[in-house]
Amino acid sequence: MIYLLSATIMMGTPLLFGALAEVIAERTGMMVTAIEGIFLMGAWAGFVGGYLSGSLIVGFLAAMLAGLLVASLYGWICIYLKQHQVVTGVAINLLVVGLCSFLYRVIFGVPITPLTVNPLATIPIPLLSEIPLLGPILFNQNILTYIIYVLAPLSYFMLYKTSIGLTIRSAGENPEAVDVAGINVLRVRFLTVLLAGVMGGVAGAFYSIGFLGMFTTNIIGGRGWIAFAICFLGNWNPKGAVIGTLAFGFAEAIAIYMQSTGNSALFPNELFIALPYIMTIVLTISRKSFSVPAKLGVPYVKEN
Amino acid sequence: MMQAKLRDLLITNILAIVLGLVASGLMLLFLGKNPVNAYSVLITSVVRDGYTFADIFVKATPLMFTALAFAFTYKANLYNIGAQGQFYIGAVIAAAGSLLLQNILPGWLVLIITLLLTIVGGGLWGAFIGFVKARYNSNEFLVSMMSTYVALAIMNYLLRTFLIEGKAEYPQTDALAASVWLPRIIPGTRLHIGFVLAVLACVGVWVLLYKTPLGYRIRAVGYNAGAAEMSGINAKKLYMLAFFISGALAGVAGFTEVNGVQHMLVQGFNPDLGAAGIGIAILANGNPIGIIFAAILFGALKVGGTIMGQMSGIPSSIIELMQGFVMVFVILSYFVRTWLENNREKRKLQKAVAK
Repeated sequence: MIYLLSATIMMGTPLLFGALAEVIAERTGMMVTAIEGIFLMGAWAGFVGGYLSGSLIVGFLAAMLAGLLVASLYGWICIYLKQHQVVTGVAINLLVVGLCSFLYRVIFGVPITPLTVNPLATIPIPLLSEIPLLGPILFNQNILTYIIYVLAPLSYFMLYKTSIGLTIRSAGENPEAVDVAGINVLRVRFLTVLLAGVMGGVAGAFYSIGFLGMFTTNIIGGRGWIAFAICFLGNWNPKGAVIGTLAFGFAEAIAIYMQSTGNSALFPNELFIALPYIMTIVLTISRKSFSVPAKLGVPYVKEN
Repeated sequence: MMQAKLRDLLITNILAIVLGLVASGLMLLFLGKNPVNAYSVLITSVVRDGYTFADIFVKATPLMFTALAFAFTYKANLYNIGAQGQFYIGAVIAAAGSLLLQNILPGWLVLIITLLLTIVGGGLWGAFIGFVKARYNSNEFLVSMMSTYVALAIMNYLLRTFLIEGKAEYPQTDALAASVWLPRIIPGTRLHIGFVLAVLACVGVWVLLYKTPLGYRIRAVGYNAGAAEMSGINAKKLYMLAFFISGALAGVAGFTEVNGVQHMLVQGFNPDLGAAGIGIAILANGNPIGIIFAAILFGALKVGGTIMGQMSGIPSSIIELMQGFVMVFVILSYFVRTWLENNREKRKLQKAVAK
């Protein structure tokens, strides 16, 4: 049980990175549908950077840069060229799959045994990790987990208690007003998308060098979309995103646990693998009131 | 006016395709390969023999169906990005139906029944998305995306248990009896009658969308759902119907692939049909007739990319690279077209003012 809960927190980490990124960007009216591609590019760049330099820090920096690049392409097309967010996201995600497997081949050829790096180590926090029960669950995690659980309340504070947050939220609710106030709506949107790219890149790298220590092109397998879904189900709020993340992290921890213990007699493995996705559908159906940002998915065109 | 638009569409699209191929070609430089050589190998080998050439149309067949699936709901301003899952459901039903019935009924009858079953199965799987959209106002984009992963899990489960081959070695079904294979239309190639079915589906969807009252209602809802409701159109019912048809179209791709090409069900086959279908639909600007040509282009990229991979040590991921680059440039061409259109309008206005 302790193992399961600790795994929940760990597996939730990249999802929370992605979901928070998505919350901030969607508040300005930008769905980051390229999130799956950003995750994958981050996983790829993290692995390449980490493997070639031998330093995980370089890996994560490379992942941030890669996420930033994908996000800037997406942001440029959707914000400045005003093209469709869903369609653009699908195109970029497909392109990234091609890029990652192609460039992996360019750099590493066809290795006989899979290339690996040592993933992030857990850092037990002195004293706190000694607390029975809670200690091993909460305070024996890797550095990214600690970072994101600091970032979550910070992003809540930023969104609701600062003028930057007000600008971000207004850009998605009433962009005309933001414009009248002399703030460049397009720039606000673009910057949040870039931020989402950086955070999404880290999330992706979590899978390759934070946890598995290797890279394959199906390493993300829809986790970007799960982060996207958590943002919806969390009602575009960092608090909701944390709750949603824990639920999905738990579902994923169960799936991994079940796979490692072999087939259970009662339920097939595949049920547990599909659980996060089924959960998303059920939750989407059962949630009644959503406070969708009014201009979500709508390009901003200045009136002349 | 119309002509200028069509001209823009053709020129910008061709440009987008060329740029997409050039961009992928430049990537080949990283491997130390000469892109000009690689592409000339691609072109000469695609037209090298009838078998390879016909394969373009074999590859285009399922793509037409998944592209139609996306384009159909797109006309109602709905996003079905779950065609991949509907395709898997169709494939599972096609394999199970064929294996179950092939020793009981004559082949042609099995084919017809299986086709109908995949239509119903894929359709219901899709209609569920429309149902939760209509009944609970769920986000259809999200639900359709998630349903793909559920469909994949169902397929993997069945392939591991009920549908696994007699030897029970690999997660795949036994081979289908030759009597339930889709008939080949050109001897000596893999081109099967499913291609004709796909072209007919494109024409049929075009007629349905543009020549029938139902199509008019679907497009009206897509144009302005509120106004359509006001004029007495039941948008909720249309959501379900549109998703049923969309899912059924993607489901049939499973039928043509299993009964026409693979002759069995293999785990995780054709994993990019859904995404490529969306690319084809946007390349064709959502037009069902345009989809025929766009799908053939993507089919050619697939066949050519595979051959490139076999011949000169270029990884087959070049296919996804080409598809991805072409899609991104096609989206950029939408921007260019709007820009051209606006300029034309402006000039017309200026002329009118000058008079």
